[in-house]
Amino acid sequence: MTCEDVGRALDAYVDEECDRDTAIAIQEHLARCAACLDRLADYERLGRLVRSAVPYYTASEQIRSRVSLAIAESRVRRRILTWAAAAALAIGTGGGLIGVRSMQRAGPNTDMIAEEVVTDHIRSLMADHLFDVRSTDQHTVKPWFLGKLDFSPPVSDLAAIGFPLAGGRLEYVAGRPAAALVYQRQKHTINVLVWPAADNQSSTSVRSLRGFHLEHWVRDGMSFWVVSDLNVAELTGFANALQQ
Amino acid sequence: MPRGIKRPRSGSLLLVMASRGFEDTVLPHLDAAFNYARWLTRSDQDAEDVVQDACVRALRFLPSLREPDARAWFLAIVRNAWYSRIARRAAASEVSSSIPATAEPVDSALDPEDLLSQRQAVAQVRNAIEQLPADFREVIVLREIEGFSYKQIAAVVNIPIGTVMSRLARARERLAAVLKPPLQMEETR
Repeated sequence: MTCEDVGRALDAYVDEECDRDTAIAIQEHLARCAACLDRLADYERLGRLVRSAVPYYTASEQIRSRVSLAIAESRVRRRILTWAAAAALAIGTGGGLIGVRSMQRAGPNTDMIAEEVVTDHIRSLMADHLFDVRSTDQHTVKPWFLGKLDFSPPVSDLAAIGFPLAGGRLEYVAGRPAAALVYQRQKHTINVLVWPAADNQSSTSVRSLRGFHLEHWVRDGMSFWVVSDLNVAELTGFANALQQ
Repeated sequence: MPRGIKRPRSGSLLLVMASRGFEDTVLPHLDAAFNYARWLTRSDQDAEDVVQDACVRALRFLPSLREPDARAWFLAIVRNAWYSRIARRAAASEVSSSIPATAEPVDSALDPEDLLSQRQAVAQVRNAIEQLPADFREVIVLREIEGFSYKQIAAVVNIPIGTVMSRLARARERLAAVLKPPLQMEETR
């Protein structure tokens, strides 16, 4: 190897990106060429200087929360698109049939919504996306939904009876945006999904799905779905308190 | 926490997987993304905008991620986000005009006493890197600060490995020329 060859390969050598043969050839050359050895020392010095002097800029809390918010918004948009695509597909393929079925049932298909509510509940826990707004204060959580929804969800403080509010987020259920309120009962998470209902009132119905318990009612034109892995008795207590 | 859902039952459950992927795949590299963006843009504000933009893109592209190296993949998205911004701003040409064609040598009239100060050396090195043309700057940052291999750099910048090598060599040449005084100091240490 000539000095010129070494000069060309020196970057790769310093970066340990040479193949074995080249590295050995360079080492042999360096052993008998003081000039190239000096060049190598210069390279190493430059690398040390750059690495020791240059700052590693880390992401601030501010950018982290900006990113979370942007991701949450993007997810809501994507879910709307997914739903739109699913709806288009349904209309395209089995629209007639579905139309007849839903007319026979005269109202929203609560089985389907229950499935969706459970899925949202699981997703909120799995994806670590339980909160868009994290607060135990109903006066923080309720105003947070302003401007994000076309309705204002009722937010109760049930900490006194052992169900502290933990926060809220936006959801997309039954083909429309919904408010999700998150309550805690010891280690259990309770999701309350709220959106304006077609009917004005209905009594409470209770069901279990895939190991989760759900309670559903309509009150003052709002549809409520409560979902948790909490036992039925406690969940019913919670639902009763929420209705008061 | 419930786990092990056996089969996707609806569109939103498919999204469960995608969402989970984002937190595990992309977020751990947020610092690397910000550091890279900060060096590309040389501004906190621009870097934040670029990183946010890149995250939204990463969420969208995540289902098509085949690359085992998520960090390189994400930094490539950061880079694309930055270049899209530059393209949008091209009319104003505020970006390209601020990059001098050649790196300027450090003011040789500096007091030798000052040169001995470590803080000044730090500022000089940072300044020297910031003054490098973007093509050279990014390979130096990815190699020296991020510790990427040539292969990873090639993936991020989307150039052949041979080009990575030649850009690094030229970038180092320029830095060495500009940083003579701090380098001499480094020698004496």
